[in-house]
Amino acid sequence: MTNPIVSVRGLKKQFGRTEILHGIDFDIPAGRIYGLIGHNGAGKTTTLNAMLGLTSYEGSVQVLGEDPYKHRARLMKDVAFISDVASLPRFLKVRELFQMLSDIHPNFSGDKALKFLEGTEVKLGALIGNLSKGMLAQLHLAVVLAIDAKLLVLDEPTLGLDITYRKRFYRRILEDYMTAERTLLITTHQVDEIEFMLSDIMFIRDGELLLHMPMEAVPARFTQLIAQPDKADAARALKPVFAETRFGQTVFVFDGADHAALEALGTVTTPTLSDLFVALMSRDTGVK
Amino acid sequence: MTNFNETQPIFVQIRHRIAAMILSETAREGEALPSVRSIAADLSVNPLTVTRAYDALVDLGVVESRRGMGMFVATGGRDKLLIHERETFMAEEWPRIRTQIKALGLDLATLLKEDRK
Repeated sequence: MTNPIVSVRGLKKQFGRTEILHGIDFDIPAGRIYGLIGHNGAGKTTTLNAMLGLTSYEGSVQVLGEDPYKHRARLMKDVAFISDVASLPRFLKVRELFQMLSDIHPNFSGDKALKFLEGTEVKLGALIGNLSKGMLAQLHLAVVLAIDAKLLVLDEPTLGLDITYRKRFYRRILEDYMTAERTLLITTHQVDEIEFMLSDIMFIRDGELLLHMPMEAVPARFTQLIAQPDKADAARALKPVFAETRFGQTVFVFDGADHAALEALGTVTTPTLSDLFVALMSRDTGVK
Repeated sequence: MTNFNETQPIFVQIRHRIAAMILSETAREGEALPSVRSIAADLSVNPLTVTRAYDALVDLGVVESRRGMGMFVATGGRDKLLIHERETFMAEEWPRIRTQIKALGLDLATLLKEDRK
C-alpha cells in the first residue's frame, strides 16, 4: 500500500467559543475522486481550508506527507484548488497572468494553460476584470489544469455556472487531469451531476463525519423501497432511516436491511446520492 | 445525456454498451475500442468504473488490453461474446419474458404470427 495523499486525525476547529469541527478522521488514497458533501455551515470548507493550510486547527493533518499549515508554500507545488470565493487578479490581462504564474509557480506550464484555453471565448489580450462569470471559470480551470498537481481540490467549482459550462468543466477534468496517480476532492451541492464521477463519498453534518465509504459499497448497505400502500406499516416495522410520502407512495431508505425482506414489500432500488443525502441529513427528525 | 437506469450498477450498463458495439460490429475484431478516459469524460463517470466494465470483457476473452495502446476487440472475441450473451439471455431474461407472455395470455403461435406481419 502506498501512503494516503491526505491523512486527517482528530481534526477540530473552533471559531471563538464555537467548535465547528468536532474531531474528524479520514484518509484519502491516490487515484480516487472524493465527494465531500454537507449542508452549508456543516464544516466542509473549514475541512478543506485546514488541508490547504489556510487555517489553523487542532489535531493532525498530513497532505502528501506534509503539515499544510507549516509548509504551505512547499505543498502548493503539488496541490491545486478552485474555491467559489477564489479570485484572479482583475487588473491583469490573461497573458500577463500566465507569465506571472510561470515566474512564481515551479509546476505551472504556460503552454498547457494556452492549450486549455483553445476553443473557449477567453482571449489572451482580455483584461481579467472584463471576463464573464463563465469565462472566468474557464480561465480558472485552465490555470489549475496547467499545474502538474497531485491533488486537486474543488470547492463548489461550478457555483453560478449554467449547465453547459458545468458539463464542460467536469469533462475537462476527467479528460485532462484524472490519472491513477492523481487525486480529486470535490464539494458541491449539485450532487446529481457528479454522482457517477465519484469513487468515494464523505457526508459531513454539524462538524462530524457522518458517512465515509466507497460508492461501490453503497448498494450493499443502503436500500430504497417504494412500498405498496398496504405494506407501508410492515416497512416501517423494519426501522427505515428515512420515510417520505410522495404522490401517495411511501418511499423508505434503509441502512443495512435484508434485501429479500424488502423485495416482498414493493420496488427495491439503490438510493441516488441526493436521496441518500436527504435521508441521512434529516435523520432524527425525519422518521417518526 | 447519459441515460443510466437505476436498477443496474453503472459498470454493468457501460459493459452492455461496449458489448453492443462489438455485437453490432461498430468495432470489429482487432480494432480499437474507445479509451477509458474518453468514455469516462463522455458519460461523466469515474475512470475506475469504466475500467471495471472493460475488465469484465477482458476476463471473457472478448476484449484485449494492449499495454500503452488501449483496448481492442480480441480475435474471436465477437463469437465468445455472442455465446456468453446467449447463455445470459436464456438463463436470466428468457424465464422473465416467458412468465410475462403467460401472464398476458399470449402464446408462441400468436407472437410468431404478429412477427410475420
